[in-house]
Amino acid sequence: MAMFSSVLIANRGEIACRIIRTLSDLGVRSVAVYSEVDAGAPHVRLADEAVALDGSEPGSAGGYLSVSQIIAAARATGAEAIHPGYGFLSEQPALALACAEAGIVFVGPSVEALEVMGDKISARARVQQRGVPVVPGVSEPGLSNDELVERARELAFPVLVKPAAGGGGKGMHAVAQPEDLAEALATARREAKASFGDDTLFLERLISRPRHIEVQVLADSHGTVIHLGERECSLQRRHQKVIEEAPAPNLTDELRAQLAQAAVETARSIDYRGAGTVEFIVSADDPNEFAFMEMNTRLQVEHPVTEEVTGVDLVAAQLRVAAGEPLGIAQEDVRLTGHSIEARIYAEDPRAGFLPTGGVLEAVSLPQGEGIRVDAALTEGASITSDYDPMLAKVITWAPDRAGAIRLLRAALADTITLGVDTNVEFLRLLLDDPDVRAGLLDTALIERVTPELAFRDADDDAFAAAALVLFFREAQATQRAAGPGWRVGEPAPARFRLRAVGQTDTVRTVFVAGNAAAARVRIADAPGSTAASGGATAPETGSADREWRSAAVRVSYRAPGAAGQHRPAGTAQVLLDGRATHVDFAFDPRAVSARPGSIAGAIRLASGGATWRFEDVVLERVTRTDAAAPELLSPMPGAVVAVHAEDGAAVAAGQPIVSVEAMKMEHVLRAPVAGTLVLRVAPGQQVGANEVLAEVVPDAAAPATPEVGSDAGQPSDTHQPSDATKEGAAR
Amino acid sequence: METLASQARPASAEYRANEEAHRAAVKGLRERLAEVALGGSEASRERHLSRGKLLPRDRVERLVDRGSPLLEVGALAADGVYDEDIPAAGLITAVGEIHGRKVMIIANDPTVKGGTYMPLTVKKHLRAQEIAAENELPCVSLVDSGGAFLPLQDDVFPDREHFGRIFYNQARMSARGIAQIAAVMGSSTAGGAYVPAMSDEVVIVREQGTIFLGGPPLVRAATGEVVSAEELGGGVTHTRDSGVADHLAENDEHALEIVRDIIAQLPAPAPRAWDVEAPEEPAVDPSQLYGVVPPEPQSPFDAREIIARIVDGSRFHEFKRDFGSTLVTGFARIEGHPVGIIANNGVLFAESAQKGAHFVQLCDTRKIPLVFLQNLSGFMVGREYERGGIAKHGAKMVTAVACARVPKLTVIVGGSFGAGNYAMSGRAYSPRFLWMWPTSRIGVMGGPQAASVLATVKRDKIEAAGGTWSAEEEAEFSRPTLERFAEQSDARYASARLWDDGIIDPLDTRGVLGLALDTVSRAPLADQGYGIFRM
Repeated sequence: MAMFSSVLIANRGEIACRIIRTLSDLGVRSVAVYSEVDAGAPHVRLADEAVALDGSEPGSAGGYLSVSQIIAAARATGAEAIHPGYGFLSEQPALALACAEAGIVFVGPSVEALEVMGDKISARARVQQRGVPVVPGVSEPGLSNDELVERARELAFPVLVKPAAGGGGKGMHAVAQPEDLAEALATARREAKASFGDDTLFLERLISRPRHIEVQVLADSHGTVIHLGERECSLQRRHQKVIEEAPAPNLTDELRAQLAQAAVETARSIDYRGAGTVEFIVSADDPNEFAFMEMNTRLQVEHPVTEEVTGVDLVAAQLRVAAGEPLGIAQEDVRLTGHSIEARIYAEDPRAGFLPTGGVLEAVSLPQGEGIRVDAALTEGASITSDYDPMLAKVITWAPDRAGAIRLLRAALADTITLGVDTNVEFLRLLLDDPDVRAGLLDTALIERVTPELAFRDADDDAFAAAALVLFFREAQATQRAAGPGWRVGEPAPARFRLRAVGQTDTVRTVFVAGNAAAARVRIADAPGSTAASGGATAPETGSADREWRSAAVRVSYRAPGAAGQHRPAGTAQVLLDGRATHVDFAFDPRAVSARPGSIAGAIRLASGGATWRFEDVVLERVTRTDAAAPELLSPMPGAVVAVHAEDGAAVAAGQPIVSVEAMKMEHVLRAPVAGTLVLRVAPGQQVGANEVLAEVVPDAAAPATPEVGSDAGQPSDTHQPSDATKEGAAR
Repeated sequence: METLASQARPASAEYRANEEAHRAAVKGLRERLAEVALGGSEASRERHLSRGKLLPRDRVERLVDRGSPLLEVGALAADGVYDEDIPAAGLITAVGEIHGRKVMIIANDPTVKGGTYMPLTVKKHLRAQEIAAENELPCVSLVDSGGAFLPLQDDVFPDREHFGRIFYNQARMSARGIAQIAAVMGSSTAGGAYVPAMSDEVVIVREQGTIFLGGPPLVRAATGEVVSAEELGGGVTHTRDSGVADHLAENDEHALEIVRDIIAQLPAPAPRAWDVEAPEEPAVDPSQLYGVVPPEPQSPFDAREIIARIVDGSRFHEFKRDFGSTLVTGFARIEGHPVGIIANNGVLFAESAQKGAHFVQLCDTRKIPLVFLQNLSGFMVGREYERGGIAKHGAKMVTAVACARVPKLTVIVGGSFGAGNYAMSGRAYSPRFLWMWPTSRIGVMGGPQAASVLATVKRDKIEAAGGTWSAEEEAEFSRPTLERFAEQSDARYASARLWDDGIIDPLDTRGVLGLALDTVSRAPLADQGYGIFRM
C-alpha cells in the first residue's frame, strides 16, 4: 500500500498542527476538524481542508469525542486515514473499531492492543508472560474491597491503589498501613467509577522515590520492532508531566539496555503496530530496580525530545506503518545524538497553588533560534478557556550535552511570552535552576518538594520603573503637547505613576518619570497612603527623595503597527536603568485601556526574564465612602406605618424588610441597613412624621470606621447607602 | 515661504557674554520659583500635612492629567511687596488639562497666612478669572482660605476690583456657560463662603472642608450658640442638610477625583477659532536664544533672531520688510497655530506705526492671533517727527491694537518704554497673556532718560535764576531717580505686582506661546470693529 493521499486529524491544538506539518512534508492532504470555539484556530488554518463538528452532542468536548462525527467527516472529505493525536479518542477502541468498519485506516495499533493496554490489570498480566518485571502487587480483575484487603496481606506496605482503567493519577491513592486500605479502596472506587465508568482496582507496592522513565517503540506490520531510547519524565506534578528529556540522566548502560529490551518485549506481547510508549517505574534509591507501569498506545506529548535526539519523525513513521509500509529503520540505524529537553507551558498560576488561569492572549512571542523547537498553536487575540487542555505550548531544546540543553531551554523560556494569560514559565525557569534538576537527580516527588522553596520574582523596582517608562512614552507619543509633557514655569514636573502590582503582593509604588525617551530620569517612592506625601511631612511628594533619581532610557517598538491611529496595544521595549539594559515585553490591558478615564487609567502587563507582572495604573486611589449604614430606620415622609415585617428583638439580615410606611399613596419599604438585632419603635397603624425613628438595628459587630482604600475598580466612587435608611418605593 | 537664517556667532565674546547673563538671570528666576513653590513656612506645611491634607501644589498636580503642562499665572506675585514673605500671594493659579481639556485652576495656599486674601491675592484671583472668562475655561477652585486678610481690609474689600468682584465674575461666567466648580478642602469662611456657594457644582471633604458665613467663635459671640465647625458647616451638613455642597469626599484625593469626574461631564468646548497644523521644530537652533539676544535693553539686535528660534520650521512670511523697518511684521506658525508676529527693531517711526496698524488689521480680518515681541524705547521724538504727525500715526497703531478682536499675546523680550508699550499691546491693551523675559525692563521711560529729563528741568530753573549747577551736583540729584527707576523697571518688580502673567525662561518662549495659543483658541471671536483712525 502506498502512502495515503489524505489524512484526517481527529484532534486540535499543537498536536494537530504538529501532525499537519508532517503531512505537508509528505505531500499528504490534511483534513482538520474543529469545534465551534476553534473555528479560527491555527490547526484549521494550517490544514488543507477543515470540517466543523457539532458540539451540541453532550460530553463530546465540542465534537472531538464524537466517533460518529469524526468518521462522517473522514467520509465526507475522502480521508483514507484518521490520525487521533493524543488524548481525545486516541486510545479508544471505539474509534479504531469504527474506522475498521468504515474502511478507514486508524493510525495506531490494533483494537486488541488498545483493549489489552487500556486495562492495566490485563496489561500487567500480558507483559509478565514475556518476562517483563512488574511492580509486586495484587492484580486480578473483579476483586472486591474485602478480597483486596485480604490479599494485601502478602504485600509490604506502603501500597498504591490504582484503577485498572484511565490514567492521569485519578483514583490513585497511596496507603501507608493496612488499616487505612479499606477506606482508600472505597474512595478510589468512587473516583474510578465517576472518571472512567469502571471501578476495577488493583494494588501495587509503592516504590520509594520513583522515577518515571519511558521508552519509545516503533513497530510495523512486517515484524520489525525497534526502540528509540528512553525519556525521563520524572518532573511531574500530580501525575501531570512538566519537564521531559531524552536521554534519561544518571542511568547505567545496563539498565538502559534492560529498559529498552523490556519495552520491545512489551510491544511484541501485543503484536504492536505504530508508535507507542512503554512507561517504567525506576527506583531512584536502587537504580537497578525497575518495573513496567503501562503502555501508551499513541503518540506522546513529549515525543519531540526523542525526535530531536534520534532525528526520526515519529508522525511520519506512524503514517508509514499505518499505510502498511515497513518501518525502514533498523535498530542499528537508531543513533542517539546529544540531549533534548522539553518544558510544557501551562495556563496555571504556580504561586496560587497552580490554579488554572485563562484570558485573552494579548501578545504572543515564542523563542526562536538554533536548537530551539516550539510546538504550539497560539493566536494573539485568542481566548484561553478551561474548555480544553491547559497546555499552551511546548518548548523543546537540543544541545550536544544535557547542561547545554538546559541552559538553552532556560533562555528560550525567558523569550516565551503569552501576555494576557499567566503561565508557569517563571516556575519552569526556577525549576531548571534547582541543583538536583541540574544534577539529574530526579524523582516524581521532586517538584512537590522544591516548589515551596522557589523564589518567584515579585515586581521589583526595575519592573515598576520599566512599566512606568513604557506608559510614560506611550502617553507622550499619544498626546502631543506644546512645551512638552509636564511643562512648568520652573523645572518640569515629572509624570507621576501610581502602579499596583496586581495579584502578587498588591504592592503599590509611586514612580516619577521625567525627561525624554533617550534621556529620562526615574524615581520610585514607596506606596503612599491616600493622602500623606511620600517624602515625609516636610517636602512635597514630587520633591522628596526616599529613593534616588536613576538615569533611564527606553526604546519601544510596537508590534503590528497597522494603519495610522490604530490602537497598538503591545510591543517590546529596551529599558536602560543606570546604564543596565533589560528587555521587556509589554501589552496594555485592553479592558482597562478602553475604560472611561477615572481612578484606573489603564493596566500594563510586563514580561521580563521569564517573570510576568500586571500593573494597574492608579490615577487617584479609589476611595469608598465611609458612611457606615446608620443603624436607625427613619421615616422618609410623614405617613402611616402599614406593616411591620419583623419582630422586636429579632435577628435581622442586612436588606431584610422591617417596616412599611405609606405616604403620598406610595408604600415605602424600609430595610435593615446592617445585620443585627432589631429594636422596633412603632406599631402598625401608627402615624409617623418625617425622619422619625421607626426602628433601630443594633449591629452584630462594629463596622470599620476608617476609609477603605480599595482596589475595587469596578465600583463607582460615589455609591453609598443613603445614610438614613435604604428606601424603596412601590406604587400602589 | 522664507526660512530665516541666523547671524549668530557662537564663538564671539559678545555671544558668550550674552549667554552668561541670560543663564545667570534664569538661574536666579528658577531658584526663586523653587522657593516660592514650597509655599508657606516649614512649620505651617508640616501642620497642614499632619492633618492628612495634600499641599496645595500637590492638589493641583494630582488634579490635572498626568503630563499636563501647567501654564501658571503670577507665580511670583507679591514677591517682595509686603513686609512679610507671601509666596505666590498665597494663591496658585494655572491653566492645566483635565481629561485633555484646558481649565483654570485657582487654589488657595492655606500654609500662607491661612490662605487669606491680601490685595495682590485678590488681584491674582481676578486675573485668573479674567483669563478664564476671555478664553472660556472652566474654573476649578480648590478652596482652603480664611477669607479677607483683615489688617489690609481697606485694600481688599470695598473697591470695584476687590473681593466682591470674584463672586460677580463667578455669576457672570456661570451665566455664559463657563463652568464654576469648587472643591472645599479646608476653610471657606465669611466672604470666602461665596466661592463655593456661587459655584455650579461643589465638592466638600468630610471633617475637613467647612463653609460658613460666621465661624464658631463669631456665632458664639453673636448669639451665644455653641457649635462645632463640622456641625456648623462641615461636609455632611452641607451635602445632606443645607445643600450648599453637592458631593461629599472622604479626603483630598477623593475630592480631586470627583472634580475630574465633574469636568468629564461638561459639554465639549467650542471648536478652535483657527486651523492648527502639525507642529514643527524651528530650523534654527532655539538653544542659541541666550547668545543672540543682548541682556541689556539698550543694545540693538535683529528681532528676526528671536523669530527664527520660536516659529515652526523657522519659516516667516514677512510683510512690508523694507517699509518702516524698525517694526518687523509677518506670518508664521507656532506649535502649529497661525500667528501674526509684530516685533520691534528699534524705536517706532510714523511708517513703522502705520505698518503696524495695517498688519494688525490684516491679521484681525484673517482671524490670525497676534504675537507681540516688545523691545523698544518708545516712539521717535523731535520736531521733524511731531510735524510729521507721529502722534496720530502712533494713535492709529494703538487703535488697531486696542480694537483687534483676535487674541493678542505679548512677550517683553527687552525694553518696554513709553507709548511704545501701548502700541505693542502692553498690559493696558488686554493681551490674553503677557510675559517678560528675566532681563527685560518696563517703565514710562528708562532711568537715565527720566533722570536726564528731571535734571534738565532743574538746570533750566537754576540757570534761569542765574545760578550754576555742577556736574557733581547733577549726579547727586539724579542718583535717587536712577535707583528708583532701576528697581521699579525690573521684571521681578513688575511680576510681583501682576503687571504681567509671569517671567519666563527665554528658551521656553515658543512652548509657552504654544500653550497659550492652545488656551486662547477655543473662545469664539467677536465681530470686527474699529474706532476712528486719525488720518
